[in-house]
Amino acid sequence: METLKINGIDRQFPAGLPQTLAQLLKQLNINEATVVAEIDGKIIERQNFAQTKVSNSQIVELIRFAGGG
Amino acid sequence: MDELIIAGRSFNSRLLVGTGKFASCELMAEAIACSGTEIVTVALRRVDIENENDDILSAIDRSKYLLLPNTSGARDAEEAVRLAKLARAATGINWVKLEVTPDPYYLLPDPVETLKAAEILVKDDFVVLPYINADPILAKKLEDAGTATVMPLASPIGSNQGLKARAALEIIIEQANVPVVIDAGLGLPSHAADAMEMGADAVLINTAIATANDPPAMAEAFKLAVEAGRTAYKSGPPSAGRKASASSPLTGFLRE
Repeated sequence: METLKINGIDRQFPAGLPQTLAQLLKQLNINEATVVAEIDGKIIERQNFAQTKVSNSQIVELIRFAGGG
Repeated sequence: MDELIIAGRSFNSRLLVGTGKFASCELMAEAIACSGTEIVTVALRRVDIENENDDILSAIDRSKYLLLPNTSGARDAEEAVRLAKLARAATGINWVKLEVTPDPYYLLPDPVETLKAAEILVKDDFVVLPYINADPILAKKLEDAGTATVMPLASPIGSNQGLKARAALEIIIEQANVPVVIDAGLGLPSHAADAMEMGADAVLINTAIATANDPPAMAEAFKLAVEAGRTAYKSGPPSAGRKASASSPLTGFLRE
């Protein structure tokens, strides 16, 4: 089964992987306007989310701002 | 009050405010407004996928406040550079509060890794504001590396102990050619006023405002203290002496 490691946790996609990063975020119910992403250590600019393909066993980091000093 | 200039950009407020530890986004927004600040710090963290929560940026009006992302959580230069680049990708902002704090108990910054990260980030066109221990030699090295400020601590982050590092901070202020922002450990408006009277260019406050019973009121108190301290510093305070010096005339007494 296809998996992605998202924020450190393996996640399985029994119905197949979403095709793009934008679709992955939608499936996870995450508002893409507030997120920055890294795939296999490479930063993906938000404007490229819709064109960025995801593939089996990639490491995905989804990050956003939090309160901090 | 005179303007604060960092990397060619002018600010009317000399108080920077952190956004951590507030009980709610609403309270944070109100406190930020009451503080008069124009620079607010934020952190970067993984999205909690199971509990989709609010985005803190929706509570910060970016037309009024410059967002200053920090690299908190970084344990070495490599992690700090990665966080700075993610923050820039997220916001388009090339300003970064550089923090490298491998020690979990006192959260003291690592001087070697901080300098290393600063050199990398300056070369990559970041405006770097490094959080450092109160070390005058390190402050000079960072300035020479091209950082926009130095941000020495007054005492450990969130400790509210005030200006424990006073003697070293005075040397940093005396020698710096970039703005000195005293960051971390200032727990009361009087600490902030004291720092500004010493000649600090600005202070950064988070815990003391966010964890007060009434954060907006405390934010206003810090605003007034920073303004008072800066105005006093610019007015040229007289020096302290050991003996009394009468304020009233020593002549014309009603006695023989």
